[in-house]
Amino acid sequence: MSQPESRIRILTSGIIKENPTLVLMIGLCPTLATTMSARDGLGMAAAAGFVLIGSNLVVSAARRLVPDAVRIPIFIIIISTFVTIIDYVMQAYQPSLYKVLGVFVPLIVVNCIILGRAEAFAYRRGVLDSLLDAVGKTLGFALVLFVMGALRELIGSGTFFGRPVLPSTYRAAPMLFMLFPPGAFFLIGILKALVNKSGIGK
Amino acid sequence: MKESRVWMVASLVLTCAVAAFALSQVYAVTRPKIDYQRKVKAVQEALAAVMPAAASFHEQEPGEMWFALDAQGNRIGTVLKAAKQGYAGPVPVTVGIGLDGRIVAVRVASASEGLKETPGLGLKATEPSFLSGFVGKTAPEVRLTRDGGAIDAITGATITSRAVADGVSEAMERHLEEPAP
Repeated sequence: MSQPESRIRILTSGIIKENPTLVLMIGLCPTLATTMSARDGLGMAAAAGFVLIGSNLVVSAARRLVPDAVRIPIFIIIISTFVTIIDYVMQAYQPSLYKVLGVFVPLIVVNCIILGRAEAFAYRRGVLDSLLDAVGKTLGFALVLFVMGALRELIGSGTFFGRPVLPSTYRAAPMLFMLFPPGAFFLIGILKALVNKSGIGK
Repeated sequence: MKESRVWMVASLVLTCAVAAFALSQVYAVTRPKIDYQRKVKAVQEALAAVMPAAASFHEQEPGEMWFALDAQGNRIGTVLKAAKQGYAGPVPVTVGIGLDGRIVAVRVASASEGLKETPGLGLKATEPSFLSGFVGKTAPEVRLTRDGGAIDAITGATITSRAVADGVSEAMERHLEEPAP
C-alpha cells in the first residue's frame, strides 16, 4: 500500500465508494440531528473532521507503542481530548454555531466513524495513509452533511446559508416538516435509495 | 515489551498525562474568550427577562441602555441598567420600560452575579414576590410606600428595597430624558 495510485484511492474512496454515512452507514446520528441548515451541517463536519484527522494521526503514530489489550481505552482518551479541544475552541470563537450544535459536539466522542477508523485503519497503517484516509472520510461525511443541510434548509425555510433564495410567498409558508427529525429521516432515505440505485459501494 | 503488564498500565497513564497537559494548554488560551461570550449571553438574558416581547436589542449606550425592537425592527420599549448602594454593596437592576412609560419588568442581579445583600432578607429583592410590585408602575409611583410611593418594601430589608426602588427610579428618569421614538 505504498504506490501513489493506491494512496490516491485511500483518499478518494472515503468520498463516494466508502462514504461513511451513505455506504458504510455509520455516523448517522449527527447526520440526522445537526443538518437543519447548510451552515450547521458544515460546522458539524468541520468539528468531526478535526477530531477524525487528529485522532487518526496520533493513533497511527503511536500504534507500535499501544498494547493491544488497552488500545480501545487509549483511543477513547485520544479522541475525547480532540473533542474537548474543538469544544473549547467552538465555544470561544463560534458561540452561535456551538449553541446550535450543542450536545452533539461532545457526542463526537462516540461518533462511530472516528473510533471505527482508529480501530480499522489508523491502528494498522502508516501516518500518511491514515491522514489521507481521515481526510477522505471527512470529505465524504462533509458532502453528505452539506447536501442534507442545504436541501433541508432550502425546502424547510427557503434559504441557502441564511440567504433567501426561494420567493417570499414560499418562505412565508415553507415545508417546515423538513426541519424536523422526520424530514431528516425522509431525506436520508431518499439519498440512500439513490446511492443503492446507482450501484456505488457494490 | 509492548504487551507487558507494566507497559499496559504505563501507556494508559502516559496517554492520560499527555492528554491532560494538552487540554490544560487549550483551556488556558480559550477560557478568557469563553468567559467573555458567556458574559455577553448573560446580558442578553437579562435584557430578555425584562422585555420578553422583544425580538432583538439595539445597544444605545454601551452597558447602560438598549432599545428593544420587535421582529420588524420597530421600537417597543427601552431597557436600562442602574445600580444604587444597598446594605452591603451596589444593587444592580435591569428595568424594561414600555413605550407608554410603564414598567414591563424589573430584574435584580442574583447573588451569583455579585449581589452581596443578606441571605433571607435583602437577597429576597431578586424574587418575583418583590419585583412584581414594580410591573405597570409609572415614574412617580416608584418609591417605597413609606416614602410616599407604591412599592411594598421587603420586611426587614428596607435599605435593599430602597436601593432597588431608587435604581429603578434613576433608570426611569434617564428614560424620560431620551426622546420618544
